[in-house]
Amino acid sequence: MAFFKLSGRGDKVPQLPLHLILAFFVVYTLYPLAWVFTVAFSGGQNLMFVNLPPDPTTLDRLRTIIPWPHDFSFANFSAVFTDQPFLLWMLNSAIVAIATTIVGVFMATTAAYAFSRFRFPGRRTGLMSFLVSQMFPGVLMLIPLYIILVQWLGLGSSRIGLVLVYATTAIPFCVWMLKGYFDTIPKELEESALIDGASPRVIFTRIILPLAKPAIAVTALFSFMTAWNEFILAATLMDQETMYTAPVGLRFFVGGFSQQWGYFAAGAIVAAIPVVLLFMYLQRYLVSGLTAGAVKG
Amino acid sequence: MTPLARRVVVGLVLVLLLGLGLEYLALAQARQASTGTAARRQALVAARAVADVVAAASGSDETDGQEAALQRTVDRLAASLDGVERIRVIDLGATSLTVSSDPADAAPRRLKRDEKNLYDAGQLLRANDETNRQEGVARKELALVEPLGGGLRQATVPLRSDGDVTGMAVVDVAAREPVPHTAWWHPVVLGLGALALALLAALPLGSNRWGLNAVAAALAIAALAAYGWIGLSTIHADRRTEEETVAARLVAVSADAGKVATAVGLPAGTLQAAGWDADLYGRPRGTVSAAGAIDEAALAADLGQQTSRLVRLVAGLSVLALVLLAFVGLGFASTLGHTLSTHRQAYFYVVPAMIGMLVLVFFPFAYGITLSFTESNLYNTDKPIWDIWVGVDNYVEILTDWKVYENTDEGVVWRYQNFYWTLGFTVLWTVTNVAFGVTVGLFLALILNVKGLALKPFYRVLLILPWAVPNYITALIWRGMFHRQFGVVNQIVQVLGGDAISWFEQPFTSFMAVLATNGWLSFPFMMVVSLGALQSIPSDLYEAARVDGATGWQQFRSITLPSLKPALVPAIILSVIWTFNMFNIIYLTSQGEPAHSTEILITEAYKIAFEQYRYGYAAAYSTVIFLILLAYGAWQNHVTRATESIG
Repeated sequence: MAFFKLSGRGDKVPQLPLHLILAFFVVYTLYPLAWVFTVAFSGGQNLMFVNLPPDPTTLDRLRTIIPWPHDFSFANFSAVFTDQPFLLWMLNSAIVAIATTIVGVFMATTAAYAFSRFRFPGRRTGLMSFLVSQMFPGVLMLIPLYIILVQWLGLGSSRIGLVLVYATTAIPFCVWMLKGYFDTIPKELEESALIDGASPRVIFTRIILPLAKPAIAVTALFSFMTAWNEFILAATLMDQETMYTAPVGLRFFVGGFSQQWGYFAAGAIVAAIPVVLLFMYLQRYLVSGLTAGAVKG
Repeated sequence: MTPLARRVVVGLVLVLLLGLGLEYLALAQARQASTGTAARRQALVAARAVADVVAAASGSDETDGQEAALQRTVDRLAASLDGVERIRVIDLGATSLTVSSDPADAAPRRLKRDEKNLYDAGQLLRANDETNRQEGVARKELALVEPLGGGLRQATVPLRSDGDVTGMAVVDVAAREPVPHTAWWHPVVLGLGALALALLAALPLGSNRWGLNAVAAALAIAALAAYGWIGLSTIHADRRTEEETVAARLVAVSADAGKVATAVGLPAGTLQAAGWDADLYGRPRGTVSAAGAIDEAALAADLGQQTSRLVRLVAGLSVLALVLLAFVGLGFASTLGHTLSTHRQAYFYVVPAMIGMLVLVFFPFAYGITLSFTESNLYNTDKPIWDIWVGVDNYVEILTDWKVYENTDEGVVWRYQNFYWTLGFTVLWTVTNVAFGVTVGLFLALILNVKGLALKPFYRVLLILPWAVPNYITALIWRGMFHRQFGVVNQIVQVLGGDAISWFEQPFTSFMAVLATNGWLSFPFMMVVSLGALQSIPSDLYEAARVDGATGWQQFRSITLPSLKPALVPAIILSVIWTFNMFNIIYLTSQGEPAHSTEILITEAYKIAFEQYRYGYAAAYSTVIFLILLAYGAWQNHVTRATESIG
């Protein structure tokens, strides 16, 4: 029962066992990441860090599980950008993610502004319908979207189709997040502007938008990250190799019978580092947003 | 005129314009299509007659002078068959133009580069014929008809020897194709008449809201029905003309081709006139007999189909008319217009997002639900919904398949693609993952919350990392680490003295593998949430408890857990839904192996849709998933409310 004293704070707890436990979990956490780096810097496509001799000793076996590259080389990184079309895939991802962010944030800020500042028939229904749409399972949407985009509109393997879908699916989250922030901006600011004869458009662009900059930035970064990391829609809609996004391309390296683990690892590191850094920076907003209603109580 | 009467009249005008206009367009299009069909049928009749003669003429064994004889036959056919402008015979084996009735073609010779379309057509017919014979159904077209301009149609039919397609006859036929003129004054007169009657009725009924609307509705439906009736009789007359034209052509071609056949000395059974008036798949239409008589029963059955299609159209339009009329006539339209203009600022800002959501979220959702009642698949997405409608068959097939396992000679065999197996696995997957996440997350949070622990921020950052890594990358990394031969997990197992395990060949080990993967990425969220909540517990609570002599366990139970609840409950709800829908981990790590046993509901639905291409069935499957989530949401809501009211 000593463990539960931890919550008691006051007592002096021996720190060594705690560090051991934490170290164990840190190893669990870091091992797969170390594995990717090792494979990426090994210069080859092999899953194994070292090749086993025909009759391996325990020491040989031990070397196969220590994530440290035998031969250190940047070959995978240079190959993935020169021999492989990974740069193109990254570019596709970047174009799609940036366009998604612009379109999504534009639609979300205007709608959030209206939901926050105007009282109009359909406001509650609109807000609720946005919330309900978050419950639609992705696959249920995927089938009709595939038929509509690919077979009706001919937008298969096109960045425009992907951007439209990403942007609209991001709207509800962005609208709710921005509306919450707009609600905290005091109305008095606008009222005085209104008395000075400013139109709602001027109020929106001159008062609300500048004040909401931080919230808009966070929302934009989240939509960017979601679009950048999305896999299954892109895998379904983009069937031409030149149109792959980075996630689809990474799967291409190691999916099916292809076993180019070196390219995958190098590509994964390049594709993941920006979003990992972004995430570490943003996670406090995410946690507070997700559990906002709860932590208050 | 009273404002009410004005509103009703405006509504009626709108309805009549829309309804009669659509009917007119539908009628004009149907007539156009009918003429096109007549021309195609005539072209095919001529081409198939030519093919019969040519096949018989080239089938005879004499090799010397055979080409010259064939040339003579073809020339005679072209000269005597009414409307046939040019006949070309193409040998697909040698890709050459064997014979042509046009001297300018300079047959025989090899096909030229600019005649590639002929070559392609031949390959297509050949491939189609092969497919049809393999499948035993006439699924692919066995003849081609293309308009050439100037009233000419080019019909291409296969030539067979010993049943195989070895060549083809390309016949240019002039088909008499009068452009049908659909009278515009019918709908105009009907519309004006209905309007005049409505105006008359408005005099006595000027302020009777329901009465006036009812009259307008009756008039609108009457006008639509009357014009529908006119359209129906026009279509019937057209259809009869079509049959008569084809029958006349059949008789003429049969007589002329018969003369040529006799003249060049072919046996009597050469012409198979019964197969001439067949569709592109070679299935006889059955309305015109080989002798050129019209089969009234078959024609009536065909007309019945057309009639019911038209009746459906008129009924649909009437419903639309009623809705529109009610909307305008009962005053909803003006209310709506008023609301829109009062709140135009607000709507102006909402519209972009709303349109986007309607087109790409709500419409696809509704369309998906609709698809779940059809047998839609890769090949029939262009067909109208009612042609592939199957009602609740998909749902019945999914939900009433109770055979989760089978008893065979080798013992019990689990049927992994059964819905209830997948559902059970999904529940197991969700529960174990969330339990793992909460336990590990809370445990680590409690440790990290210890006062004065060294390196706290360092641990925190490192332990959050898995959450930050995109989950498709995580999934692929673990897929690699669980590789049977080269994967590092098996190396560790071997260092510890065990034998290498084929992780993805047993349902249990496969489950362990995806559990390890998902556990890795899901505990940081719980840890962060718990840590945040723990830090907000005021420490004087514990001091007071200690003064009262509470043990560590008692403090944990009475202070820590209750304080964590408001943060943990929503986090658990979220995490249940996330895990239930954790597509990437299953799809990329276990890939459902072995044999779909570790598939969760949404990955299974995805595979039904995009590996088996059964869109309708997959849509029903996803709708069931949606209903499960909805039920879970409702239950969760109910439970949290109940506990809140107690606490």
